[in-house]
Amino acid sequence: MIKIEGLVFRYDGSPRDALNDISLDIEEGDFVGIIGPSGAGKSTLTYALNGVVPHHYSGNFRGRVEICGMDTAKAGPEAISKYVGSVFQDIEGQILSSVVEDEILFGLENFGIPRGEIEPRVEYALKTAGISELRHRNISSLSGGQKQKVALASIIALRPKIMALDEPTGELDPQSSRRVFETLKELNERHGLTIVVVEQKIMMLCEFAHRLVVMDEGRIAAEGPAREVLRRGGMLEEIGVNIPRIATLARKLRGLGLYDGITPLNLAEAEKMMRNGRQC
Amino acid sequence: MKGFLDYVDGNSVLHRLNPMTKLIISFGLCASCFLTQNHAVVAAIALFDLCLGALAGISRRSALIFISLLKLSAALFLLQVFFVRQGNILLVLPFGLRVTDAGVSFSALFALRLAAVTMPLSLMLSITRMSDIANVLVRYLGIPYKYAFVLTTAMRFIPLFTEEMAGIMEAQTARGVRFDTGNFFRKVRLLLPLCVPLLISSVRRIEVSAISAELRGFNLRGRSSGYKRYSFGANDAAALFICVMIIVASAMI
Amino acid sequence: MLKFEDVYFAYAGGDTITGVSFEIGRGEFVALMGENGAGKSTLCRLCNGLLKPSSGRVAVCGCDTARTRTSALAKYVGFLFQNPDRQLCKNTVREEVELGLEYAVADKAERVRRRDAMLELFGLDGDREPFGLSRGERQKVALASVLAPEPDILVLDEPTTGLDYRECAAIMGVISRLNSAGTTILMVSHDMEVVSDFASRALVLNGGRLIGDGAVRETMRARRVMNEASLLPAQIPSLAMRIADLGAEYAGAFTVDEMVSAAANARGSARP
Repeated sequence: MIKIEGLVFRYDGSPRDALNDISLDIEEGDFVGIIGPSGAGKSTLTYALNGVVPHHYSGNFRGRVEICGMDTAKAGPEAISKYVGSVFQDIEGQILSSVVEDEILFGLENFGIPRGEIEPRVEYALKTAGISELRHRNISSLSGGQKQKVALASIIALRPKIMALDEPTGELDPQSSRRVFETLKELNERHGLTIVVVEQKIMMLCEFAHRLVVMDEGRIAAEGPAREVLRRGGMLEEIGVNIPRIATLARKLRGLGLYDGITPLNLAEAEKMMRNGRQC
Repeated sequence: MKGFLDYVDGNSVLHRLNPMTKLIISFGLCASCFLTQNHAVVAAIALFDLCLGALAGISRRSALIFISLLKLSAALFLLQVFFVRQGNILLVLPFGLRVTDAGVSFSALFALRLAAVTMPLSLMLSITRMSDIANVLVRYLGIPYKYAFVLTTAMRFIPLFTEEMAGIMEAQTARGVRFDTGNFFRKVRLLLPLCVPLLISSVRRIEVSAISAELRGFNLRGRSSGYKRYSFGANDAAALFICVMIIVASAMI
Repeated sequence: MLKFEDVYFAYAGGDTITGVSFEIGRGEFVALMGENGAGKSTLCRLCNGLLKPSSGRVAVCGCDTARTRTSALAKYVGFLFQNPDRQLCKNTVREEVELGLEYAVADKAERVRRRDAMLELFGLDGDREPFGLSRGERQKVALASVLAPEPDILVLDEPTTGLDYRECAAIMGVISRLNSAGTTILMVSHDMEVVSDFASRALVLNGGRLIGDGAVRETMRARRVMNEASLLPAQIPSLAMRIADLGAEYAGAFTVDEMVSAAANARGSARP
């Protein structure tokens, strides 16, 4: 679905490479979380997926990014956005209309979706994002979490195969962040979308993502299922990635020979660890 | 005045008019105010604006807008009335200032016009979605979509900028900058350096908007891309007829 | 130091505050928790007079905020906003840090001394342009300029939102050192791990009412209060509540190390 080979990118006027030899394969239906300190190149990586790099921001682009068999350096951003939908951290910036319905129509109209298909798509997008009742509301009257769902719905309506999200919950509180991730989970599981999300909240990724990619200084520092990546706790802390307390707990218990099982990703697993670990 | 440019959802006769009709009526009413030299006609048009507001179900809001416009008009009246030299002197003030009957008449007309001209435009924006305005501008007037988009985006950004500026002033006051002074000129002097943070945050935001539009096919959009169709019915014909009558009447009186 | 007496606040389009009373003493580190819209930001703005109570009284270091200008209160109350970019407006970091001092300190030499002390404390390069820095660095500059007038109380509105882990640790490190040196802290945070690591007392707001006020350790465990405010406790106390039936030491664990020692002791005592 997504194939990145030896990608190097340096923004015009920047003294260093934002991405430095990235190679990454993402399968259809995967849910990938990208984490790393600020300036690690996370946003640039999402830009490489949706064609913003090298089409909107120019710079020195080497290597190859292939989306559904299409070379992004050759295809235009519009061609790419038929496959990849993008959501950004700046909620107000990415919204272009004043009424919810218009925001969803924007992309549908531009891409020339046949008239008969538009209404069902608008309904589907609103329903999937869980905001059907907000259809005629003024966007300025909505909460941050609701606005981010409007942004999600406007992309869902375009029926992309891949969703690339750059810190979609950066401006939201824990409850609203969770609701955004639950929507992503539904898109992933029920509708088969491939999700690539940059996120600082590691606990959210541990719970929702199938795979973690840890970035540092433009490179991929670690990659794999969350459980495996978390086992390398020391290296993550050195890079500047927070690790959940229950993972630290598991590491310390292991060190004392009190536990010998999997790294817990959520509280239920942590509870199991504490109960069974006692006997081991 | 928070949100005075916002669309107010509704289903009144006026809401259901063709957006083009609404545009024509609001500009027609503006034109009438300039065609007439009669104070009573301008006042009548202002009153008509308020009636339209009531018809659209936003009487409270239109009254609020009208009152704040009147305050502004009163200020402009005072600024002007002392400087008209022609006409019979009604009152002589120190520093060579005087008030004449022509001055009062001219200034009053100017002030009334300001209120009566602004009202229909703000009413129209209250009951018409920005996207509808953009669509009809593109379809009926052949304006390129890009310009229509710039217009609607600018309107959308005004409240965002106001909010950002309020936030910046709040932050500066909290660190000891004396924005909570009553002195208007001192306040303006303090405000100027704050244009830098406002500009930087705005440029960042506009950048995101540009990318977001581009990724949703902005450049593919053509004249016929609009999904909504706007019918032209008996209500529109009647409304336009009334509008023409008002223009003709005001030109003659 | 900071005293709310039956404070009410209502404002069209903003969150309300309903009958809130509490007192914060010198040197306390208090976390303010609650859902979005619970009134946290409104309460912060009442502390330095950006908002004035509709009824009741807010007193800071003995000053009634209703009778004092916010800009005059700035020398008692330092206020750090979530978005540092709203605070920064000068061309260099040095000027930025000095700006707050201009109003608070009359003596030029003293201003220079405090400014340079701040730059050193935060390890900032005074010649850099604030807007060329990363988000975490900008937050540091904003904090340095708020701290330069040496306020008695520091009000922080989500100081770590948008920062990565390392930047968050750096900012919280400075704040916690200040607190040890006697500065009173009131901090809004959504990050329960940050709250549990640094704060000693927690205020919980829900719908403009104060529904919890107590030690952080006890508050995180107060199921009713946390549920009512739709808050999830930090991971370790959550885990402790789930396994409370295993024994008092597990139930009382609040940090990773306490949980580890609970497990180690349980195992030690299980051995013959």
